[in-house]
Order: sequence, then C-alpha cells, then structure tokens
Amino acid sequence: MSRTVLGLALLATGLSLAAPETPPTPGPTPPFELPTTTVFTLKNGLKVTLVPYGAIPKTRVSLALQLGNADEAAHQTGLSDLMGKLLLQGTTSKSAVQLAEAAAQLGGELEVNVRADQTAVEIECLGDSTVEAIRLVAEVARTPAFPTAELARLRGDLQREVAIQRSQPQPLAEEAFARAIYGDHPYGRILPVAADVERFTLEQAKQLWTRFAGANRAHLYVVGRFDPAAVRAAIEEGFGGWAKAKGAPRPKPALKGGRRVLLVDRPGAVQSTVRFGLPAISPTSPDYIPLVVTDALVGGSFISRIMGNLREKHGYAYSPRSVLGVHPGVGTWVEAADVTTKDTAASVREIINEVERLRKEPPDEAELAGIRKWVAGNFVLRNSTRGGIVTQLRFVDLHGLPADWLRTFVQRVEAVTPADVTRVTRKYLDPQRMTLVVVGDRKVVEDSLKQFGPVKVEAPR
Amino acid sequence: MRTLACLSLVLALGCAHPAPAPPPAVPSPAPGAATVPPPSADAAAVRFVPPDVKPAFEIPVDTYTLGNGLRVVLSRDTTAPILTVAVYYHIGFRIEPRNRTGFAHLFEHMMFQGSENLGKVEFMKLVEGNGGFVNGSTRFDFTNYFEVVPSNVLETILWGEADRMRGLKVTQENLTNQQGVVKSEVRVNVLNRPYGGWPWLTVPQLANRNWYNAHNFYGDLGDLDAATLEDVQQFFKTYYAPNNAALVVSGSFDPAQVKGWISRYFESIPRADVPPLPDLTEPRQTEEQWKTVEDKLAQRPALAVAYHMPPRGSPEFWAMALLQQILVEGADSRLYQELVQKRGLTGEVGGGPNLLGNQYDYQGPMLWMAYLFHDSSHSPKEIVSAIDTAIEPLRKDPVDAATLDRARVKARSAYYANLERLFGFGRADLLATHALFDNDPAAVNRIEPSLLAVTPELIQRTAQEWLRPTNRTVVALQPTGGK
Repeated sequence: MSRTVLGLALLATGLSLAAPETPPTPGPTPPFELPTTTVFTLKNGLKVTLVPYGAIPKTRVSLALQLGNADEAAHQTGLSDLMGKLLLQGTTSKSAVQLAEAAAQLGGELEVNVRADQTAVEIECLGDSTVEAIRLVAEVARTPAFPTAELARLRGDLQREVAIQRSQPQPLAEEAFARAIYGDHPYGRILPVAADVERFTLEQAKQLWTRFAGANRAHLYVVGRFDPAAVRAAIEEGFGGWAKAKGAPRPKPALKGGRRVLLVDRPGAVQSTVRFGLPAISPTSPDYIPLVVTDALVGGSFISRIMGNLREKHGYAYSPRSVLGVHPGVGTWVEAADVTTKDTAASVREIINEVERLRKEPPDEAELAGIRKWVAGNFVLRNSTRGGIVTQLRFVDLHGLPADWLRTFVQRVEAVTPADVTRVTRKYLDPQRMTLVVVGDRKVVEDSLKQFGPVKVEAPR
Repeated sequence: MRTLACLSLVLALGCAHPAPAPPPAVPSPAPGAATVPPPSADAAAVRFVPPDVKPAFEIPVDTYTLGNGLRVVLSRDTTAPILTVAVYYHIGFRIEPRNRTGFAHLFEHMMFQGSENLGKVEFMKLVEGNGGFVNGSTRFDFTNYFEVVPSNVLETILWGEADRMRGLKVTQENLTNQQGVVKSEVRVNVLNRPYGGWPWLTVPQLANRNWYNAHNFYGDLGDLDAATLEDVQQFFKTYYAPNNAALVVSGSFDPAQVKGWISRYFESIPRADVPPLPDLTEPRQTEEQWKTVEDKLAQRPALAVAYHMPPRGSPEFWAMALLQQILVEGADSRLYQELVQKRGLTGEVGGGPNLLGNQYDYQGPMLWMAYLFHDSSHSPKEIVSAIDTAIEPLRKDPVDAATLDRARVKARSAYYANLERLFGFGRADLLATHALFDNDPAAVNRIEPSLLAVTPELIQRTAQEWLRPTNRTVVALQPTGGK
C-alpha cells in the first residue's frame, strides 16, 4: 500500500507524467498479407505448395496424404496408427537407426502424424538441409520396409498408449461423444480397443499404406527458408516416379443429434469431465464464418460468456472451452469442461443458460467487435508460423475451399453482425438437441443429471 | 482428431489458456534512463565463449534500464505484423512463503483480477478483444505475463502492464473466486488424472533436499484456501516492483515510439526494497536414492531418473545441453535406441532440464530428468540397467565425432525452435530471463556459439560428475488402482 501512496505523492508534485486512466485506443489494424505461395502439380498428380517464409533458417516439409483413421474398417481402429509407427522403422535402403540419424543430421526428426482424415509424413529441419529433407521424406513414402521384426514391439506400444488414454477422463469423454454423434462411422471410433490391436497383422498395415498412399492422393507442403529452384528439382527427382494409389471411397457419416445423457462412471472422481454438443456444419457452409465468430463469443475464447460464467463467476472450472470440430462435409459444436464434481449439474445448467441467452438476445456491438478482432487476430497468429501456415493450407485443401478462402477470411469475419450471431445460434445451437456426456463419479452425479433427460450409463470398453 | 502419442507433459501453472529478415534495431540512448549496468560478475553464461563470437542467427538486442530499475529489452523482427510484450518478475514459486504453498501461482491469477484502472478480467479483454493472446505462468525463478498481439495494440498493452505493475485493486470476492479456479486447475492437472503432476511436480519434491526446491509448488488445497487478501497485497508490495522486473518487446515495432511509451507509462512507478534471495543451494548428492510413488488412477507403471544439473552457465551446463541431444532428443538418441528400438521397454523416452521451461530460463538449482511409461512385465531395475547401458559409455570415453556432430546440429535446430515457440514468445522468454538473472540480455547471442564449442572431453567430464548414478534419484510410479 505504501507504494501507492508514494506514487500519488510523485504525481502531486508534478514530477511525473500522469498515466491516463483509460487504455490508449489501438491504431489501425496493420495490413496482413498471406505469404506468397507457389503451387504446381507433378505429372503423376502430386500437388506441391512452396512457401518461402520467415527469418529463422528452418523449413517444414510436410507430405499430407488422403489416408487416415476414417479409412479403417470395423475392428481396425488404430491400424493407421500402427502403420504410422511401422513407417519409421526403416526403408529398403536404411535401417530404423540409419533413418533416425539421417533426420537428426538435418536438424530434425521424422514424424508420421495420423489423424482421422489425413496422415502426414513430416520433418522440421534446418533451412540449408531442405533438399535432403525432401529426399528423406520421399524415401520413407516410397520405399518403406515394414519390417516384421518390429511388429510385436509396436503393437505393445500401441496397447500401452491406449491403456493410458483409457485411464484419462478426457479421451473417454471424447470417445463417448463421438460415438453418440457419429455412431458406427470411423469418426465415431476415437480410441482403439485392446483386443482389436492384438490381432493387427503386418500385412494389414502394409495394405492400408499401399492402397491409399500414392502421388495422386498426396500434397507436399514446403514452408520456410530454402532455395526454391533446388527444392523444385529435389521434388521432381524424389517424387516424380512415385506411383498412383487406388484408394477407396469413405463411408458417408450420418450424424445423430438429439438430447441424450450418457454417463461414464469414474468412481471417486473429484471432477466431472463434460461434453455437451451437437452436429453442426462444415467449413463449406455459408454460415461457417458466422458460426466461428459465434463459437468464440459463446465459449471458444477466454473472453467468451461460458468462460466468464463457469470460471470467472463461479470458479467451477479452470479451462472450459467450446470447439467446432470438422471433417469434410460435416461438423460438430461441443462445449468441453472439467468441473468440480458437486457442481456438475449446475455447470451444465449454466452452459444451457448462456446458449439460451444468446438465442434470445443479440450481443451488443461492442462485445461482438472484440470477438471479431479476437478471431481475426488469431487467424493472423496462426498464419505467422511455418507449422501454422501448413495447417491452414491443409485445411483449405482438405475441405475443398475456394482459393481465396484464406485471403478473404478476415474481411468475412469483420462482416459478421449481431443479427448473424442470433440467427446462427438459433439455427445451429439448440440446447434441446445437444447430447450430454459426463465422465464422473456416478454415485454422486447420476441423480442430478436426470433433469437433463434419462441417464444412460455407458459400459467401459 | 485423435492423438495416440503418450501423455504429453502438461505445461501447467499457466494462468488462463490451455493455450523475414529483420533490420537491426537502431541503438539509441535510453530516454531519461540511468546508465546501462554492466553484466553481473557471476553471469557465467557469458564466459564460455569470447563475447565477439557471433552466432549464425543473431538476435537484435537493444537494452537499457529505467531510473526506477526496470530493465527494458527491445528486439525487432518484422516477419509478421505481430509482437510480444513480456513482463517478467523475479519471483518464482521456489521462494513463496512456507505456510502458503502454491501462493506464487495463486498470486499470478490475481494479477488478472483488477488494477487501478482495469477491472476484473478487463486485461484479458484488452488483449483478446484486440486480437491477441495472453497468458501468465509461474516458474521456479520468475513469474511472467505476456501478450502476443497485432502490432497496432502495443501502446494499449504497455499501458495495461504498467497499470498492474503500479498496484492491484482486488476484492475478497475475486480472491475466493480465483482460489476456486486454481483448485480446479490442480484437480484437472493433478488430482483427477492418472500420472497427475508426473514427473514435473512429483520428482523435484523427492530429489531435492532444500525446502525451496522441494515443496509442492502447485499448492496444498488447504494452503490455497488459507490465503488472505492481506497476503496478496503484501506479496505484491514485496516482489512486484520495477527494479525486480524486466520488460521485453519483440517483434514488429518502431523503436523510438516504443521507447517513448515505455518511458511514459513505466518511468513513474516507484522502486521498492526487494529482499535478497534465500539460500537455494542443494547439497552435492553422494548416494543414489530410490523412491516409489503410488497412483491409483494409472494403468501402467512409469519411471523417472533425475540428476542434479551443473550450475547454469558453467562449462558443464553447456555440455549438458549437448548430452540432452545425445541422450533424449530424437529417435537417434542413445536412450531411445537402447530402451525403445533395441529392448522394447517403452515407446518413448521424454526428458530434459527444467521440464517447466527450457535449458536457459531458470536461475537456481535444477534437475535433468528422463522419464518413460512401461509395462509391469519389466521391473524398474531392468529399466535403470538399460539406462546405465546408454549413459555409462559417455562417462567412460569421449563421445565419437559423428554423434557429437549430430548433437550440435540438433542443438542448433532446437535453439531456433525455442526462439519461435508460441508465435515468437520464446525469443522474449530468453531475453527476459537473461536480463533478469544476468543483467545481460545480449548473452542470448552467445547460446548458439556456446553449444557449438562443447568438446568431447568436456562432455565426458560432465557425464562423469553429473550423470553419476550417485547423483541421481530414481522414481518408480506404481499403479495401485487395479482393473
């Protein structure tokens, strides 16, 4: 307290410039231009995007393939993940350790990142090693060894990872929510099942790769500091002879909304892990940008209403967040929160209250202006790193969005009005149609959840 | 979007969020400032390579100190129209009051609950509502508050940071609310999860002897509840003074303009008498310790080995940075090759110094750790024996040229990645900590040459003393929940 008094004393004698009592207004938003990209296609159909970017001498090389968990048959959940592990076990000319040493010598590490819709073979290397990094990625993609000797070990690793995931409440909640929305579609199968993994064969993993991985089903992104001419030549040389792959059509998901209350029992849990949401839209919908802004306002940002309510007003939760999750052609909206066990039902009621309030009254312009700036500003941040640039470009390509989608993103965000927010909230975020998943202590929370509908207790898997 | 990677380390103790060639800055005299103090005598970080050795990638550093003792660092980078503002206070969780474990972190939350001209959460709105990202974090030797914002918001953010450096205006209601939030944070990151606090929170408590390094810095829930509004004001008065802080602005800005704003908003904040640091030293460990922790939520065992690190800035400290690359980083590393590729004991080995930060952004005693998850079919003894198989050759002989060469390349690449972390915040982190601990932010430009100057002999000598089995604590986590 004495420091405050001292500060006042200084001001009184006029020795110091008084700081203003209101925040200085920011100047005009700086113009933001996306980095320039060069796009071309090799004769075999491989698409390539080159993005010279940044001051730091590093480059990200990312080969994205139309192959993912969505291509797994029933009882094969996790087979792509096993395939990804096998890819790093060597090529026809390098053992696993030689492959790892070659990547390290470039200042990087080879990664195979398997997701629902796509798999990426990636490396982040020193910029002056970009050509070698491209060669290495091509070698892994074109001549993987799939050594039998490593199968049992990698299956064991996958089993362990799954056991650990299944002991955590958040993956269990994700799994229950995805299954409720997507049913038997691969998008509804988030976690592998131990008994399935036990039966995976080398042949299955190899077949998955050879069937789906080929030049016509891949897009190579190179972002960072490199010599474009040398990189282009290395791409021609490394990937020019890569064969095409047949692939196979994916089943079309049929999403199921509607109020259901699903409880996964976790005896003694001091928190309940909550998911509350419903089918929404994909990025190709004209309502997508208004919904992105609405999501940020209702739960997707720190200054959102649900954050203000659950955290800053009630202290029920540390980091509640809403998320728009998308796959090609489909999407979901979900609020995710870990709340104190005794406050489980109260937290769900508050989430419903906040969504209902936004369905009734439009936000005032000042609140919405802040949210629009947050969405636009985050877009700029996401486009300011190599990894972020690759992610943005992959997003546009995966969803088949128009070429100017990224360039016009900010202006479309700035055009969202309070009436748009009300409209899309009413259209897409109806609490009556939301499915509730709670992973928590059944004996404490079950009765209180009945107010939201009949409670179905999920069997452990 | 599933991730099947092993449990990633939770970077907890955060406050809120789960989550081009720059022209060199023109050096100019600090406006109305005191003279730039010389680097402190014990800034060993600067001594390993001569000061004129240049890095391949040089960071512009323009630094000065205000009359009230606030250290200012400006570093220009116009890659994108964004910038980072970071305010670091030289108060970490190590030295929080003994009957108030977790207080330094609880206090960090209170810095978002209101200051003279900003109400509760208004700081957040000032940042996010102008398109930026904000967070605070509490670490061993500092507490930081940082924003990554579009470049037009700089003055607004400086005003806000100055407002809360000047004084807090918080109520009992705010405190009670944030006690609830912090307890929720501890629950989600520790109490309600398997491997909660493993190994970042658990292992320091078992491996260290000095209370300052060995207490539960996330806080016992009882201690968190006991905190009073008076504690909050007293803590602020004691540690949150300009002469106990560093301010970094890095990114796209106009140097003359930013200096004017800094002078206007920060110059009049009065300095305070900051108590000297207590004795934080750890005794030299001479016997190996084995400890077991039980986890009723976990399904698989886990194991960590923790070695006391050589003092920050010593030659051995730089060798440890290379040993980190040789032992843990990448699939070519010795521990990965021995434990994963050859013996199949685990799928992944994590580790490093300072799991809540990096090699450089701490001051006091530190542990170097390696940790992994395994199956109950393999005993901790078997795993430790495999770890010894990987480490002992580095103690017996100088490392071979090919391994050292790879380690140097990886170390350089990792250093760049560190600079770029979180939209460029990583650069500000290094500048702030070198300003705060060494009074020499330009020392960041000696990191890269220092890494490259480490010799095989130094690595061997370092491994002999610091990777001694009798310098380590082995912690085995046993699942006890059944199923």
